[in-house]
Amino acid sequence: MTSRDPARLRGVLLLGIAIVAVALVPLVVHSDYILNLCGVAGIYAIAVMGLGILLGFTGQMSLAQAAFFGIGAYTSGWFTTTLGWSVWPAMALAVVLSALIGLAVGYPCLRLSGHYLALATIGFGIITQLVLINWKSVTNGSDGMTGIPPPQIGSFVFDTYGKYYYLVLVAVLVCAYIAWRIKTTRVGRALEAIRENEIAARACGIDATRYKIVAFVLAGAYAGLAGSLLAHDTKFLSPDSYSFDQSVVFLVMLVVGGSSSIGGAILGAVLLTFLPEVLRPLKTSYIMVYGAAVVVMVIFMPRGLAGLIEVARARFSRGAPPPGSSVSVVAAGATGAEPA
Amino acid sequence: MSQFDLVANLQLLVSGLAIGSIYALVALGFVLIYNAVGVVNFAQGEFVMFPSYIAATFLLPAVTVFGTVVHWQLPVIAVYLLVIVLMVGFGLLFNRIAYYPLRDRGWLPVVISTIGVSIFLRNAAQLTWGSEPLVIPGLFNMDTFAIGPLHVRPQDLVIIVVTALLIAFQYLLFERTTLGKQMRATAQDRATARLIGVRVGRIVAITFVYSALLGTISGLLVAPLFTVTKEMGALIALKAFAASIVGGFGSIPGAIIGGLAIGVIETFGGFYISSAYTDAIAFVILIAVLLIKPSGLFGERVAEKA
Repeated sequence: MTSRDPARLRGVLLLGIAIVAVALVPLVVHSDYILNLCGVAGIYAIAVMGLGILLGFTGQMSLAQAAFFGIGAYTSGWFTTTLGWSVWPAMALAVVLSALIGLAVGYPCLRLSGHYLALATIGFGIITQLVLINWKSVTNGSDGMTGIPPPQIGSFVFDTYGKYYYLVLVAVLVCAYIAWRIKTTRVGRALEAIRENEIAARACGIDATRYKIVAFVLAGAYAGLAGSLLAHDTKFLSPDSYSFDQSVVFLVMLVVGGSSSIGGAILGAVLLTFLPEVLRPLKTSYIMVYGAAVVVMVIFMPRGLAGLIEVARARFSRGAPPPGSSVSVVAAGATGAEPA
Repeated sequence: MSQFDLVANLQLLVSGLAIGSIYALVALGFVLIYNAVGVVNFAQGEFVMFPSYIAATFLLPAVTVFGTVVHWQLPVIAVYLLVIVLMVGFGLLFNRIAYYPLRDRGWLPVVISTIGVSIFLRNAAQLTWGSEPLVIPGLFNMDTFAIGPLHVRPQDLVIIVVTALLIAFQYLLFERTTLGKQMRATAQDRATARLIGVRVGRIVAITFVYSALLGTISGLLVAPLFTVTKEMGALIALKAFAASIVGGFGSIPGAIIGGLAIGVIETFGGFYISSAYTDAIAFVILIAVLLIKPSGLFGERVAEKA
């Protein structure tokens, strides 16, 4: 146990303060609009963390995260409206189904990597969206699905943005904890070894095939949960929300946040959910500025927000750089680096 | 359709080859940049969309720019020259902003920055030209003309001929000129190319410009068939990307044949199977090829370097 280690203690303390501060937000902010955005940011954060397990931890590129997001949302929507299931089993089914489809997509994609994998996942994403648009008997096509019920525990219904905020917050924390457990245990080290050098990892006895499938399944499950949470939040589904562009948004959130950092994934999701809203006074040009901002952030923040924070922390504590920082420099540099 | 109709099928073939030529040109743009710098350019679709808008601005008698109607109509040749000159500048600028600062950082940051540029350009286009689609005329002012029993759209033929000429030009460029050989050397091995005196940075810039011009030409060719919208490049680029994989990524003949094949299969599939899923056909082919022969039809075996 290293819990006596003052640096670690301080880290835990800071994390606790951060969580309490975030939990207090609905007491201070009363605008439904902002609370809703916070909820959506949290939902995106879950999907982005899932992508982080796949891309950040394991080094496997996916541009189909929005498809799993959509599969989760529509599973939840269809089972609660058409079949009249209650929300929790539908949500669980959404997670399981997305995970299974993650398995089905991950398995054949194993022999691909880098750009090829990106391409195959783009293909899967586009086909999924076309199915959502054209399978009208289930998805109601472009008209979208309406009347999705909110979740409830006993007689407590999550029917306001404030209440839903806490539901999302709990989900984010649980997902972050699971991701952190994965990262810091045997599985995470195996994934990291695969990312750094798959051949060497195999030579060390790591069953790379199995671990890559695990990463795909986890990414699918996270996105499925996020999609389900969104379905019961907005209570309306439209296939437009699950496009290739949305997958790109998730990818950008992850890279801007810092691809192998869990906190970075959450920060990236929150920042890029709020950035368009902050830029809204620019009216029609705001998405244009957003695009430019993405380029600037990638150029000037090589390791994302997570890297930026680490640098700031190192500067404040003055002494030696925080333990593990040099390791994460290597890790961040290696993500996406291909043998030239 | 109870009976095989030869004429109808030939007409489908011609339009399939035409749209396939567009995919082939855009796929070439992908492959050349990929070979030169090892990165897929996600803004390639905007290399098609942006010049189409510029051309529309100067080809049409009246266009709304920033909310005011302008009358900037110029002769066709002048417009084409203007667009090409502008796009040379654009290619240089793109290289300088989206690629150059990130050149030593692996492929992911570059991919993200090209995505950022793509978002920027699409919305810049909407801001400048509004969301009304623009329709630009083809080179010939007629709907279809007859070759025997066949009724062919003249623009389809223009596309096929121009593409064939461009491919011939590119072959000569790569095989017979020093510049082309330098481009190939850079694509093969940047470090060694630099050792033997190739100015790699300059060649990479030229590759971006050439790729932008391929996009420009495909935009000018395809715009009369569709309309000019901010989204026009996105789907073309994705399918061209799929085409380049089907053909074997990195392979120039692969890109051409993959593009033509996807154009033809998609046109026939849209007609015979389902028009709602036309856009899915390219990706179904893509996934099938990736599963059966991941290196594509003409690709070399992809071996991972340890």
